[in-house]
Amino acid sequence: MPARMDAGAAIEVQGLTKRYGSHVAVDGVSLTVDRSEVFGILGPNGAGKTTTLEMIEGLREPDAGDVTVLGHSVWPDPRSIQTLIGVQLQTTSLFDMLTARELLVLFARFYLRADADERAESSLAQVGLESKGADYAKNLSGGQQQRLAIALALVHDPEIVFLDEPTTGLDPQARRNLWDVIRSINQEHGKTVVLTTHYLEEAEELCDRVAIMDEARIVALDTPAGLIEALDADARVSYTDSGGDHAVYVRDVQATVLEVLERARASGETVQNLSVKGADLEDVFLSLTGREYRE
Amino acid sequence: MRFNPGRFGATTMAQLRMTFRRRITLFWSLVFPMILMTLLGLLFGRSVTAGDIVVAQPVTAAAPKAMVTALEHTKGLTVKTSSDAAAAIKKVKDGDEDAALVFAPKGDGSFTVRLYTSNTSATQAGILKGIVFGAADRVSIAATGGPPALAFRAVSVDSASLSYIDFLLPGIVALSIMISAVIGLATVLVDWRQRGILRRLKLTPIPLAEFFAARITASLVVAVMQVVVLLAFGRIVFGIHISSTWWAGMPVAIAGCLCFLAMGFAIGSVVSNPETGDAVSNVITNPMMFLSGVFFPVAAMPAFVQAIAQVLPLYYLANGLRDTTVRGLSLTHVAGDIGVLLAATAVLAAVSLRTFRWEPKT
Repeated sequence: MPARMDAGAAIEVQGLTKRYGSHVAVDGVSLTVDRSEVFGILGPNGAGKTTTLEMIEGLREPDAGDVTVLGHSVWPDPRSIQTLIGVQLQTTSLFDMLTARELLVLFARFYLRADADERAESSLAQVGLESKGADYAKNLSGGQQQRLAIALALVHDPEIVFLDEPTTGLDPQARRNLWDVIRSINQEHGKTVVLTTHYLEEAEELCDRVAIMDEARIVALDTPAGLIEALDADARVSYTDSGGDHAVYVRDVQATVLEVLERARASGETVQNLSVKGADLEDVFLSLTGREYRE
Repeated sequence: MRFNPGRFGATTMAQLRMTFRRRITLFWSLVFPMILMTLLGLLFGRSVTAGDIVVAQPVTAAAPKAMVTALEHTKGLTVKTSSDAAAAIKKVKDGDEDAALVFAPKGDGSFTVRLYTSNTSATQAGILKGIVFGAADRVSIAATGGPPALAFRAVSVDSASLSYIDFLLPGIVALSIMISAVIGLATVLVDWRQRGILRRLKLTPIPLAEFFAARITASLVVAVMQVVVLLAFGRIVFGIHISSTWWAGMPVAIAGCLCFLAMGFAIGSVVSNPETGDAVSNVITNPMMFLSGVFFPVAAMPAFVQAIAQVLPLYYLANGLRDTTVRGLSLTHVAGDIGVLLAATAVLAAVSLRTFRWEPKT
C-alpha cells in the first residue's frame, strides 16, 4: 500500500543503538515507516528486532539515535506518543480474573475514552473475538489470546499498531487467521502496522516492506519483491547428478533447465531431483549473510 | 500524568472484581479467620468452667456439709463424690478429676480442709484453690455467727472484663487484615512484574500511582469488610458483646491495612519470583502472628517478647482493634496505635519506592 502523499512518515528512526554491557543489541539502525503500510522487521532470534521495536514504542531507552513517531520525538518523553500507538508485546499475560470484554473496557478507560464500552465491542469485532467477550483471558486458546492482545492494542483507536512476533508459537491455521486479522487492521481500518517476525513466509505474505535484521544491524530494506529482485535471479534450480547436489540462482529458468538436461543427455548422465523454486526471502537472507536462515 | 477520578473508579472496580473472583483470596481473608477463631474458641474459650472437684465421703458434720452445698452452687464447678480420701486422691493423680477435697476432723469439732490438685494445670489449680478457700472462709465466718471483719470484692479495672473469646476476636480480625494485605500485594506485584503486566501498563496513560491507589483502595474495602463480617461472626456465633465504639476500629483497621500493604509492596519490589514472595511473606508474618498478642495477651509473655511486640505493627493493630471493638474505648484512646501504624506505613512505602522495578530481572 503506497504512502499517502499528504502526510509525512509514520516513523523515522536514525542511528538507533542499544548496548548491554559489551554486547551491542542494536547497532545504528535507521529506517522510515510510511503511513498505512505494513512494515516488517524480519530476522532470526537474537537479531535485535524486539529491542528495536521497544525503543520505538518508548519502552526501552536507546543509548544513541533518534526516534520520531508521527512528528513527535519519542525520547526523552515517551508519554507524548502513548495515545498514538497501540502495542502488543511479545510476552504479555493479562489479568487472569477479568473477561476479555472487561479487560478491553478497562484499557479503554486507561486512555480516558468516554466510549469505552463501544470501543471494547468494536475491538473485539476487529479481531474476530465477538463470541469470546465473556470468557476469562486465561481460558482462551493461544491464538485467541494473541488476538485479544491485539484488540487491547487497538482499543484506543491508535494510528500505529506494533505487533511483536504476533504469530510465534501458533499452529499454521491460527497463524493464517491472525494474518487475516492483521490485513484487515491495515486495509479496512487504515492503521499503520509495524511487526517483527522470524517467519520468512509471514514477512513475504503480510508486509508491504521488510527490513531484514541480522546481528544487530539492518542488512536490507525493501518490498519483498524488491528484495528478491535484487538477488538478480528469478528462481533456484537444484538437481543431483554423479557430481553431487547442485543449486544455481538463475534468471532464465527455461534455458537453465534445458541446458542441464541437454548436457546430461550428451554425456549419458542421469539427472535426479530436478526442482525449480521461485526465489524467496530465504534466498535473499542466504545471499546477504552467507548463512542459511534458521527460523 | 494527571489523576482522573473516573479512571481511578473504573480501575478500583476492576481490582475488586479480580479479588472477589479469586476464591483462594476469599478463603484467606474471611473463611480461614472464622475457622481459626472457632477452633481456638473451642480449645481455650471455655474459661467459665472452673473444673471438676471430687469430695471424699463421708461428709456428715454441719460445717463440711454447708461447704459442699456452697461449692455445688458455684457456677462452672462440678462437684462429685467418692467413697474415701484415697480413692478421691487417686482420681486426681490419674487425671480423671481436677481436684479432690478431703475433710479431716481435728477432734475438737473443727475440720482441716485439704485440697489435692495436680500440677499439670497450674492455672486451673489456682482457680480451684481460690474457690475452695473462699467457700471455707465463708462457712467458718458463718459458724462464728458474727459479721465478717473484712468483706472482699474483686473488681476488674477493665470497663468490661474480657473473657478469652472476647480477647481473641479482635486479634483474629487484625491477623486476617495482615494476611490479606501482605500476601495479597506481595504475590500480586511479583506476578504482575514477572508476567509483563507492569510493562504493558507502562505503555498506557494511567500513572503508576493511580493504578496502585486503585489497588490499595480495593484492599481497604476488603479490610473494612473483614472487620464487619468477622465482628458479626463473633457476635452471632460466640455471643461476644461488641462495643458501641466499634466503628472507631475502622480507622485502626485502615491504618493497619495500609501498613501491611506497604509491607507487601516492599516485599514484592525486592523479591523476583512469586514463590520467593510467598516464602518471604510467611517468614515475616508468621513470627509476628505469635509475638504480637493476637492469640494470648502479650503481658503474659516473657519480658523480651514484650519488648519485641512493641516494634511489631500487628501488636498495634490488634491492640487498637481490641480497645475499640470489645473494650469500648474511644478513637482518641487509640490515636497512638494509629500513629505508629501510619509511621510504619511511611517507612515501608519509602523502601518500596526505592526498590520498585517495572521489569523482571533478566
